Amino acid sequence: MLLPATLSFGSCTSLAAVAPTHQSEKSAQLHLPLGSSSLVFSSNTNFKFNGGLQPKSLFLNTSKNFKTSVAVQSDQVGSSDPAEKEVAKKYYFVVANAKFMLDEEEHFQEQLCERLRLFGERNMEQDFWLVIEPKFLDKFPNITKRLSRPAVALVSTNRVWITFMKLRLDRVLSESFEADSLEEALASTPTKIEFKKPENWVAPYPKYEYGWWEPFLPQASSKTEA
Amino acid sequence: MAAEMALIKPISKFNRTLPKFRNPITPKPCYSYIKMSSSAPATSPKKSTAKPKKAIKETLLAPRFYTTDFDEMETLFNTEINKNLNEAEFEALLQEFKTDYNQTHFVRNKEFKEAADKLQGPLRQIFVEFLERSCTAEFSGFLLYKELGRRLKKTNPVVAEIFSLMSRDEARHAGFLNKGLSDFNLALDLGFLTKARKYTFFKPKFIFYATYLSEKIGYWRYITIYRHLKTNPEYQCYPIFKYFENWCQDENRHGDFFSALMKAQPQFLNDWKAKLWSRFFCLSVYVTMYLNDCQRTAFYEGIGLNTKEFDMHVIIETNRTTARIFPAVLDVENPEFKRKLDRMVEINTKLITVGESDDIPLVKNLKRIPIIAAFASELLAAYLMPPIESGSVDFAEFEPQIVY
Repeated sequence: MLLPATLSFGSCTSLAAVAPTHQSEKSAQLHLPLGSSSLVFSSNTNFKFNGGLQPKSLFLNTSKNFKTSVAVQSDQVGSSDPAEKEVAKKYYFVVANAKFMLDEEEHFQEQLCERLRLFGERNMEQDFWLVIEPKFLDKFPNITKRLSRPAVALVSTNRVWITFMKLRLDRVLSESFEADSLEEALASTPTKIEFKKPENWVAPYPKYEYGWWEPFLPQASSKTEA
Repeated sequence: MAAEMALIKPISKFNRTLPKFRNPITPKPCYSYIKMSSSAPATSPKKSTAKPKKAIKETLLAPRFYTTDFDEMETLFNTEINKNLNEAEFEALLQEFKTDYNQTHFVRNKEFKEAADKLQGPLRQIFVEFLERSCTAEFSGFLLYKELGRRLKKTNPVVAEIFSLMSRDEARHAGFLNKGLSDFNLALDLGFLTKARKYTFFKPKFIFYATYLSEKIGYWRYITIYRHLKTNPEYQCYPIFKYFENWCQDENRHGDFFSALMKAQPQFLNDWKAKLWSRFFCLSVYVTMYLNDCQRTAFYEGIGLNTKEFDMHVIIETNRTTARIFPAVLDVENPEFKRKLDRMVEINTKLITVGESDDIPLVKNLKRIPIIAAFASELLAAYLMPPIESGSVDFAEFEPQIVY
């Protein structure tokens, strides 16, 4: 796929801004006097600083058979190896009350949808789930004593991403545990989730619909995989 | 980056005393501060250089370009000097930026040109101005982040790479907006802007507060417009808004990075000065946006929004978000805060009227004095309203009381 928003910043001294003539054109060049370094944006992730910095090539693997999680961490490498499947895996999570996770923090919904879209586009196996009233919380008395119920956890095998999610959500508690199987890790106590309608909703748009989280629950994601 | 920081005067040294507010007069709706390269479809790209450069009109409410003390930045993020740096958070952010969620998002289609051709009359001009201002703001982020990426490479390669990846996002956004201008047979001369615009100098800690707020308020503006237009598609008069949902996730992530930068420098978050500065930057950003937008109600009404309601929603949400990191925020949900903003809009309108009158300059200035005094007192009163204690749970004193 081509990115039409293609810019090429050269280090030339010309001040020309080139108006794209028509939209079928694939790129427009903007020559900028940006000092010694120059930046080239091409139609994909490759971008180089000719002035020196060469970001490591991105992890993206376009192979159709590519099946691993986004952040390839040392603790995850080999996750697709069948021989290692029985070995206990580490799961990382952030947890807070259901109202915070599913009702108040609407950007959280956008983030999860964005990530699910990305995993679909790149043919990667989903490695994150929402768990309502997770059973693994019983192992964490220090968390449960500070938690309103019902609680909702975002669980992932990707430690690095959970660190990011902790930074984003802030008002959450974070921990990790080991489990022998995905079923065991994501086991939950059936709980009805109800939210009161906000008293004065002043946003010029409606709230995300109740139940937006269903595609992220373990049952739903395993169904789509099957 | 949506630069909503214009109220702050460019001063080179203001780390000891509060910067003075300059009166926020905008002599005219300030769209003429950029140079448009050509009004006809540019068949020969080089033509645009031949046009005489129009002088850049620097107005207080125009999006600004920023620069900072790069040596101090290098010291702040030197891992050998600063042992507080939370490597895990920066590694996580780097991974998040490398993921590049919007790699294939900014793809245009033929709807753009068709929609632009349909936009005629005053609304067309307003759209052009919107695209110009947004493009300038994104481009200003590109310049700053790119330079920081370059300068921090040696002392902190991880932080440097994140800045570079953010400049990638900003360049993509600016480029996409500039492409939008091409639908109106215009283009921003970004090279000219780079050279000719004044740069506002901020000490690093002020860059953190200001860009954090810019990014988060940018997210809330874009997502609000997107969700509003999704509900009311009859106002969807130009397709760029359809891209806002994915687009603004970039802004939100950029804000998270500044959160992490501030957490790595707890001295910017944990004392009474930090609280005063936090409130000051919140107020500057909110007031600037409110005054700016109230001068452009035609744009917001053109896409079916009530300008003041839109702005208040954005301010309240941005403030809630900001309370996750700043040690103090303003009580913007107190109805008195909005009343003060509305009075500032009225005063600003009076100032503009004086500026546009036929009086001689001396008389104009005399007439301005009481109006500016009234504005300053509103602003000060808003600043002094009882604040809300806030902050990341990793720092906040009230953390032990929180029930998650």
